[in-house]
Amino acid sequence: MPKHYRPTGKKKEGNAARYMTRSQALKHLQVNLNLFRRLCIVKGIFPREPKKKIKGNHHTYYHVKDIAFLMHEPLLEKFREIKTYQKKVKKAKAKKNEELARLLLTRQPTYKLDRLIRERYPTFIDALRDLDDCLTMVHLFAVLPASDRENLEVKRVHNCRRLTHEWQAYISRSHALRKVFVSVKGIYYQAEIEGQKITWLTPHAIQQVFTNDVDFGVLLTFLEFYETLLAFINFKLYHSLNVKYPPILDSRLEALAADLYALSRYIDASSRGMAVEPKVDASFSSQSNDREESELRLAQLQHQLPSSEPGALMHLVADNNKEVEEDEETRVCKSLFKDLKFFLSREVPRESLQLVITAFGGMVSWEGEGAPFKEDDESITHHIIDKPSAGHLYLSRVYVQPQWIYDCVNARIILPTEKYLVGRIPPPHLSPFVDNEAEGYVPDYAETIKRLQAAARNEVLPLPGVGKEDLEDPQNLLYAGVMSRAEEAEAAKNKKKMAAQEKQYHEELKMEINGSKDVVAPVVAEGEGEESVPDAMQIAQEDADMPKVLMSRKKRKLYDAMKISQSRKRSGVEIIEQRKKRLNDTQPSS
Amino acid sequence: MGKRSKTSRKGKKAWRANISSEDIEDFFEKTTRDALSGGNLSAAPSEDLFHVDKSHDLPVKRKIEKHKERVLRVDSILKKNPFVQLVPSSKPKLKKSKKTIVIEDKAPKQVQKSVGDDSVMADLWGEHESNPRKIFKNPSIIPAVEIEHPGCSYNPTTESHQDMLAEAVAQEMQKVYKTELGPAPVPLTIEGDTLSEDERYFLDVDNFSEGEDNENVESEVSEAGIKLKENPFVQLKPSSNTNLKKIEDKTPRQAQKSVGDDSVMVDLLGDDIKEDLKYFLEVGNVGEGEDNKDVKIEVSEAGNNVSRKTKRVTRVELNKRCRQKALRKKETKEKAKEKILNEIDSLPNILEEIAKEDEDKQNKHLRRVIAKQEVLKIRPPRLGKYKFEAPPVQVLLTEEMTGSLRKLKACCTLARDRFKSLEKRGILVPSKQIRRF
Repeated sequence: MPKHYRPTGKKKEGNAARYMTRSQALKHLQVNLNLFRRLCIVKGIFPREPKKKIKGNHHTYYHVKDIAFLMHEPLLEKFREIKTYQKKVKKAKAKKNEELARLLLTRQPTYKLDRLIRERYPTFIDALRDLDDCLTMVHLFAVLPASDRENLEVKRVHNCRRLTHEWQAYISRSHALRKVFVSVKGIYYQAEIEGQKITWLTPHAIQQVFTNDVDFGVLLTFLEFYETLLAFINFKLYHSLNVKYPPILDSRLEALAADLYALSRYIDASSRGMAVEPKVDASFSSQSNDREESELRLAQLQHQLPSSEPGALMHLVADNNKEVEEDEETRVCKSLFKDLKFFLSREVPRESLQLVITAFGGMVSWEGEGAPFKEDDESITHHIIDKPSAGHLYLSRVYVQPQWIYDCVNARIILPTEKYLVGRIPPPHLSPFVDNEAEGYVPDYAETIKRLQAAARNEVLPLPGVGKEDLEDPQNLLYAGVMSRAEEAEAAKNKKKMAAQEKQYHEELKMEINGSKDVVAPVVAEGEGEESVPDAMQIAQEDADMPKVLMSRKKRKLYDAMKISQSRKRSGVEIIEQRKKRLNDTQPSS
Repeated sequence: MGKRSKTSRKGKKAWRANISSEDIEDFFEKTTRDALSGGNLSAAPSEDLFHVDKSHDLPVKRKIEKHKERVLRVDSILKKNPFVQLVPSSKPKLKKSKKTIVIEDKAPKQVQKSVGDDSVMADLWGEHESNPRKIFKNPSIIPAVEIEHPGCSYNPTTESHQDMLAEAVAQEMQKVYKTELGPAPVPLTIEGDTLSEDERYFLDVDNFSEGEDNENVESEVSEAGIKLKENPFVQLKPSSNTNLKKIEDKTPRQAQKSVGDDSVMVDLLGDDIKEDLKYFLEVGNVGEGEDNKDVKIEVSEAGNNVSRKTKRVTRVELNKRCRQKALRKKETKEKAKEKILNEIDSLPNILEEIAKEDEDKQNKHLRRVIAKQEVLKIRPPRLGKYKFEAPPVQVLLTEEMTGSLRKLKACCTLARDRFKSLEKRGILVPSKQIRRF
């Protein structure tokens, strides 16, 4: 309650004056619980935890100012209006006045959320920062079955699907995808747009179920807000590509459920300069004049045109000169699958792979109608398959499992395919979101990948100097990893040498500190070296304690906290290592 | 008009006298009035009566103008002088420029919309920045989309998978242990024989009488106490005797009760007696003790009972008391001094103690802060009636690990995951609501 509304006898300050319980808020706003929840969700108001809970621990508290904020929301008035209007409809129905009820229903008052989006996200960056939840939710509802009981209409599911496709098309077009992680829960993606890392989770291609411990009413309210938000963000992103926003898709491809492909084609066609000139929507074409209609047909023809020549379709890298402002990482991502041609088998997750491959500059096709190129195309380099054995084998291509794509993308190099070939159990799929150095524990396969990366850098770096003809030969790039086996071994040798040098350095350090008390033997045995390192560490620690004394109290505390968490992490790593050792010991025996 | 009275019309005089001259008089009166007022108005021409005033009514005009033109001095100072260049001040100028930009923007925007887009949507985040309003952001440090542990990968490494499995098992076992080790629930029914009518009656009666007895005893004791205070020497013995007698009277009655109850009662009685004895002792002490106390009691008693005699305090006694008081004061002062000296000697020890205490406090605080942060990382603050309960970990069992994306047994309850995430971040209040199907 604001100060001037305070009745006599109410508290002036402290938690009693600053917070109110939910039921108090309801009374104050004169709304029911349902409406209050909706308002809070669209307005972005959360319950708080006051230090002192005046009414007890079992209540939910809201800040008084938050409630005042809700009080002045025009939407509240609008909701009330809708409520009274619903009463009118109900009354007409109760009086068997169907005509009136129908008439009233056609003129229902509606509301818009764009003002709220503007209010909650004053800048575009703010909106991007908060996009994780939005994207995950919209992706989830795009695969949920429409349900009468949960009040989930088919129209909304379709809208969600459209929004997700638009988003994915933008991501693949702008090559903003950075990481992919396939987990049991779903597939995690991370993209980077305008310096913001956006992470979202998409479900696997299986039926999602409604569970009884979830309040879908609440989720649908969130979805309503997020749909609006994502639409505006897509609008902005598409305009940044100079593409008209609600995209007009090829109805044939749409019917074949190849929305993503249709969208990328649309963007491709539009950004080549057609989008700037005004076009009319298909729905408006009936009322527009002949000239515009012919223009539309022309545009559609141009859409059709590239589909006749295979290969040029998903090739979105064509306009290099246009995007000058992109950063180093985008360039790397863009050219990862450059000049590789993929064909997806029926059983692999098509949408996910399509997004990933196009985002990293590859060309992709699939089994079914409307695909850019057929299976028997000679130029296909990789055939993605997830069966124990392939039927008819083409010798010109490699048959790999889908995990290869994800692992390549995460490692940013073309990995050797032999481990991923059909019928084999692929190497473990590592999470790209884990910083192995910080965690302290590096899995074996991560080390292998690191070595390959180092080798690839040596191999690929001189390539631009050599010329484009090398890059354009996909086989060359593909086997780059395989060819550099020798180098890999060399790198390992280098590493050993480095470790030995490090040991010696520590030894010298120790000698210096001890005041050359005893003559240090040169490094020969492994055991001696290992012993020497902790000694030096101890001394180093003593040295490190000195600045700790000089630190301010606050900093010292922070430092201590850091130390504690580090030690915990270390102990965790030790446990893992012990477990691994035990596993290794037991496995050969069993 | 009545008939005029008849007059004689004989003679000239009579004739003259009887002729009315009213009209003539009226005429004359009128003419004289006209002459005096400046002529006959009805006969005068309209030009003479009215004229257009062409003369300038200067005073009135000046009045109005003066009123209009009056400018306060402050205003005249602030008024812009066209010959003096303004010193540019940042704020108002910024506002002005912004406004102009907005106005300029509006027109092209609309044009662009009508030309380029046939959609209803517009760019929400246009070129002009909206004034960012401070909105309370959820303070939760938990990200909206939490990335799972590498062990939850569809094809994890053995180590991380084991790690994650251990966690999942721990989560399950915690639930099991909670139900096993927790206090046994209160049974709804107890085995045993049914009570007969009579027994039940007795039980009721016993409970009732017991309560009453206790109260009686207490009140009696307190009464006795009051009596003792009033006159310590005279009425002491009889009162205590009566008290004891009463207590003795009660004991046989309580003997009728059940055995368990008895012991308690005996104890109670024992306490009562003890209290009585205490009173005896105290009274005795007072009687034999120092003069001071004696006097005080006397004084107080004098206040209560005016008729009682008071012992006079002699001058000698007063002087003695005065001396004693001064002596005592001196002693306490010296003692305090000595104490301070002692403390000064043990200063290093004290400092050490303080430092130790500080350190302990600091460590405690640090531990608490870290613990709080750790808790916030995994759990939201308590927002409602129910605690947040984490959803089960989605991890493959060892036999389910096939390495094939096609055969993956994936999670199909992502909606729950989203819902739990909202609860975890403190956006929704956790609820125990389970909907029926």
